[in-house]
Amino acid sequence: MILSGWEAVFFWVFSIAAIFAGLLTVMARNTIHSALFLISSLVSVAALFILLQAEFIAGVQILVYVGGVMVLFLFVIMLVNVGAEERGHEEIFNRPRQVTASVIFCALLAFGLIHAVNEGYKGFQARDANKLTTAAGDRAAAQQNLRVSGTGSSLITDDTTRVGNSLYRYGSLAFEIASVLLLVAIIGSVMLARTLKQEASVDDVSPDVMVREAAGDPELAALQVDPLVKS
Amino acid sequence: MQLLLSNFCAPLFAVIMQQAGDGALSTALQRAQNPDLSKFLVIAALLFIIGVAGVLTRRNIIVIFMSIELILNAANLNFIAFSRYLQDTGNVNAVAGQVFTVFVIVVAAAEAAIGLGIVIALYRNKETIWVDEIDILKW
Repeated sequence: MILSGWEAVFFWVFSIAAIFAGLLTVMARNTIHSALFLISSLVSVAALFILLQAEFIAGVQILVYVGGVMVLFLFVIMLVNVGAEERGHEEIFNRPRQVTASVIFCALLAFGLIHAVNEGYKGFQARDANKLTTAAGDRAAAQQNLRVSGTGSSLITDDTTRVGNSLYRYGSLAFEIASVLLLVAIIGSVMLARTLKQEASVDDVSPDVMVREAAGDPELAALQVDPLVKS
Repeated sequence: MQLLLSNFCAPLFAVIMQQAGDGALSTALQRAQNPDLSKFLVIAALLFIIGVAGVLTRRNIIVIFMSIELILNAANLNFIAFSRYLQDTGNVNAVAGQVFTVFVIVVAAAEAAIGLGIVIALYRNKETIWVDEIDILKW
């Protein structure tokens, strides 16, 4: 696998964008800024996926991560962001021991990972060297097999077909388990995010807790004598 | 060392060092012009390390969750890069890495939903999202 020409240019643009956006995610003071930088990091990584000819995964990444998960994050930030102003004047990295320990840990991790990549790199370096000349020809040959779209100006990739075949042929059980996992996650997050009032209205609170909480909350006390709940 | 050079220094000095002649730097430059698997691995490793640093240093629980997403995303990048690498060795149907990435994304979405539900419940009871103030289990 080797990129050349404009692919290389886009590779550097998007990988540097991904890394800087990731750094700013960690270093931004405002949580909303963190979320927005994370979105740009995820979009840059999706662009890298397209460079790696994984168009389906790039689409899933943008739809699920940026469209779903990050919107959820932004909702939660706006729900709980009251406390951020209180400590907004503090430095983010204001615990020297914590920061030192994590910097040492990350430096060790970086050294190990870069060393491992460097060692492994020698193995396939020679193989890729003679591949560079044939890469362009291979790509042109592979593109000839692709179907032409309706407008005639672009080619339709068959990546999604291959991923779908593989997913349902070899991973159908895991696919079903994933769907059950998502169902459990939906039910679990609905259960976790209920207020005490919502819990009381479906009679899901133990009576002594209910009495204790109702003492300080007239709304809850009114709910308690609701005949529908009592029955 | 040459890898570090080719990954980080070469693109910065690419314009300046056009007439550098032969030697380590020009081969590094040539490699920067043709990124291969190792470049993707290094980018993924850097994203992973940034995520780990975020988990270890930040105290806002939502930022910690976002750092975890960054870590998972770095793992996804590794999966996709190796999948593409395997496709180039001849088997065009070697998309196991892409299939695995779908599952990683599913698990990340489930984790985010549950985790943010916990954050909301925690904020309702403790009025804080700073992990150093959430110490009920400490005694």
